[in-house]
Amino acid sequence: MNNVSQRDVIFSRLYEIARSDRNIVIVAADMSAPALDQFRIDMPQQFVNVGIAEQNAILIGSGLALEGKKVYVYAISPFITLRCLENIRVACLIQGIPLTVLGMGTGLSYCTDGPTHHLLEDVAVMRAFPDMRVVNLSDNQMAAAYVDISAHNEGGVLYIRIDKDFCPDVHTPGTDFSRGFVRLRQGNDLMIAATGPMVHTALHVAVVLATEGISVSVMDVFELPFDPDAFIADISEVRKIITIEEHFLPGGMGSAVCETLCDKERYVPIKRVGLSMAQGYKPSYQYGGREITRRHYGIDQETIYRTVRDYLKN
Amino acid sequence: MTKNVEIRIDDLEQRSHDLGCRMLQMCIKAGKGHVSSSLSCLDMFVALYHGRILRVDTANPKWEDRDRLILSKGQASPALYTTLADFGFFPMDWLDTFTQENGKFAVHLQHDVPGVEITAGSLGQGYGTAAGVALAAKMNRKLFLVYAILGDGECYEGSIWETAMFASHNRLNNLVTIIDRNYLCVTDFTEDLVALEPLDEKWRAFGFNVIRINGHSIQELLKELPPLRNRNSTKPTVIIAETVKGHGIPSMCFDPLWHGRAPQGSDADKFTNEMQKRGCYE
Repeated sequence: MNNVSQRDVIFSRLYEIARSDRNIVIVAADMSAPALDQFRIDMPQQFVNVGIAEQNAILIGSGLALEGKKVYVYAISPFITLRCLENIRVACLIQGIPLTVLGMGTGLSYCTDGPTHHLLEDVAVMRAFPDMRVVNLSDNQMAAAYVDISAHNEGGVLYIRIDKDFCPDVHTPGTDFSRGFVRLRQGNDLMIAATGPMVHTALHVAVVLATEGISVSVMDVFELPFDPDAFIADISEVRKIITIEEHFLPGGMGSAVCETLCDKERYVPIKRVGLSMAQGYKPSYQYGGREITRRHYGIDQETIYRTVRDYLKN
Repeated sequence: MTKNVEIRIDDLEQRSHDLGCRMLQMCIKAGKGHVSSSLSCLDMFVALYHGRILRVDTANPKWEDRDRLILSKGQASPALYTTLADFGFFPMDWLDTFTQENGKFAVHLQHDVPGVEITAGSLGQGYGTAAGVALAAKMNRKLFLVYAILGDGECYEGSIWETAMFASHNRLNNLVTIIDRNYLCVTDFTEDLVALEPLDEKWRAFGFNVIRINGHSIQELLKELPPLRNRNSTKPTVIIAETVKGHGIPSMCFDPLWHGRAPQGSDADKFTNEMQKRGCYE
């Protein structure tokens, strides 16, 4: 288990880069983080706080970027995405203005804060835009790597989903993240494609199933869109796929995988697991911890274990 | 670049009138374009460009020290395109391609036209970008000014006030905000719709120097705008320019129904005649 959060990894790495690149600017909407506090103290000229005004954060960021700054807009994830959709579209995307959006606390990260602070629809919405890259971080290795990737962003918007929970690393230093997915575990019977924090759930379920003689492969699908040809090549031996995400099903990662299989005419059996539209927001009002809220949505570790096992049997 | 030529107010008034006629012709030909919204701010553009208030270089539209004119009310693009063409940023015959297949531009402002800074058309957004540009200028120790042109109806957008608060707090005295106060929106007069007044008190409360002028008076524009370059105050300045939507075509003025339209058929002839006769609404 890491004792550093994804966001502190990001701001520590940004701190290092910004020390030698004065064009790095962070625009925050009244948000802090321990590593960001240090950035702010040491490089006040490269830190802008707009207050609780997410739309303005995007707009000010677009103007800074227009003048050549490498801009990182940082805010609580539902507010900097869903609230600012059209700002991101008009002030950045349709003009080719590069920007990195750092969305803090995606999925059920802020589980006990209630549904205003959950973010369960953004992948579907954000990936609908051309020139948008949606990145769902699964560990600190990836968080650091994407800071380096974003520093070379020439156009388009890079949207990085930051999970609030501390989690162990699943990727090794030096991992190549360029294809948008990485196979973390090999297995013959079935492949779980997971994203964000659900990668950890998938790995755990795979270990448990291995003790039962079931060989499960795990893929971390962290960037949308991913490289479709590389994806199809990578799953050439896969017989069955199950996708797992902490997000409503329409338009999420599982949908992206289905679209790729469909467009590439690769008809492998596939099942999506995520938040059900039928349940809607009711489980978001169930508190006690992230796994408890997930249980009400049917995506906790135990339920996913049974879902995967049953899917294999059918 | 600024050239040392004498600027005569009557020349600029004539130029503005000629460009109004040219712009009207462009929109009639295309059957498209926000004619009335463009006529309310054309005099500002003529004063800013031909009055040599802006420091720009037609030979080098992306000159890094240029002043940035950011037209947030992107529907007024016909006025800006006509002015930019006449000023020498691109050939006048580009205007004939307005909204046409393989044309250079269409109804709302687009960033890839020489002399244009942003794509605009969704109100309330260009202003924030302008403030970001002004902040970048401060960070980069650049001396250029940023002129943001807003519609009065655009001031209904909440993001305008987010940006206004930000601009005054950050002492963006390199940001010159000009509001085209033409009192008309799509459906109604602003004061009947949701009252914007007292507009100057609102901006003053947000920390701006407020100057209210006649936006059709080249003389007043040339008097009030140049001193802003001296930045005698840390406050940003807003110019509330009192204008008339459809200025120059009396039959178009004071009629909300002419928003967003280009006259066609007999209206086109009538409006062209009024414009050519230097129609005045008084």
